[in-house]
Amino acid sequence: MAHTDGPPVYLNGKQVENPHEDHHHVSPMWVFSTVFGALLFLTILTYLVSYADLGPASLPVAMIVATVKGSLVVGFFMHLKYEDRFYSFLFVVTLLFVSIFFTFVLFDMETTGDLNDEAGIRYKRSVEDASDAAEAAAARLAADQPAPVPVGGGH
Amino acid sequence: MTNKAQEHEDRPWFLAHHFDTVGQQMSSAKLGMWLFACTEVLMFSGLFLAYFIIRTLYPEMVLEASEQLNKTAGGINTIVLLTSSFTMALGVRAAQTNNQKALERNLLLTIACAFIFMIVKYFEYSAKIEHGLLPGEYYAAAQHGIALPKYSRVFYGIYFTMTGLHGVHVVVGICVLSWIFIRARRREFSSQNYVAVENVGIYWHIVDLVWIFLFPLLYLVK
Repeated sequence: MAHTDGPPVYLNGKQVENPHEDHHHVSPMWVFSTVFGALLFLTILTYLVSYADLGPASLPVAMIVATVKGSLVVGFFMHLKYEDRFYSFLFVVTLLFVSIFFTFVLFDMETTGDLNDEAGIRYKRSVEDASDAAEAAAARLAADQPAPVPVGGGH
Repeated sequence: MTNKAQEHEDRPWFLAHHFDTVGQQMSSAKLGMWLFACTEVLMFSGLFLAYFIIRTLYPEMVLEASEQLNKTAGGINTIVLLTSSFTMALGVRAAQTNNQKALERNLLLTIACAFIFMIVKYFEYSAKIEHGLLPGEYYAAAQHGIALPKYSRVFYGIYFTMTGLHGVHVVVGICVLSWIFIRARRREFSSQNYVAVENVGIYWHIVDLVWIFLFPLLYLVK
């Protein structure tokens, strides 16, 4: 064969033994149907769970279900499970960077309040919100007690 | 050197001159598509983080403002998008197995689902606009008799940004799917040459993937 005498062929940095023979993985129909059924089931589950009041657990539960659905789509519909592992590596590295992004920002969000309190720093927004709330409470109090209590400039 | 002439003859018509083999051409195209898919994930992750920041700052506001969204419309759209992902995967499989009829049918079904998604979105958006549930200075819920907590306009800001950017992706998806459908009608694809169908499929599944996370966060949060 003329092909074998040609120059070496590389794919993703590795030399390919028989470059002109292609092997395509074709998933059987039942795999797609099963994945689709599972996705529909999980969607209905998320929808129903949102009506059951799970309290603080509802967000993690919804995220876990969404992650399972996402993995099914990426693994089977996007065919990542059967591809060269290099594509999985790319995708996992992307998710790693997303998690670094989220972790650091949300960690900062959680802790910055305490640090600001310690340093005596107050946001204009929270000062305004506090005075709004105080005003509303005073108005409610005034409505409840018809005897007018003079509310001065505030101490 | 008859070698060169013969090699030229052996090259299939769809193999670009700068690739040695079909396999090399295919994995280059797929690598590019996966890199693009990864940048899409990174782009949307910024918006998801913005959502979580708003949620951390104003937990009650996000809960109350999201109650105004139509859960049923969102649920229908989720099922429509999942179905379109399913038909897209079947379309790629049809191309892999030289099933011309199934390829065209599945591409058409996927495009139809994309249109249904946009129509439902249109009704959702018009309801929001009618009730003044809009971002920033356009927010006018109080004038329409809806009492919502302060800063609710921030929630509608993130809602319209996230679903809007996702909607743009759906519209782009309709365009590229139509382009692939036209090429399929010209019988360009076969079990040896289907990487274009597969790459559009990867794009379409990313659109679906984003919605899988958008839907519970925006519509179903508790």
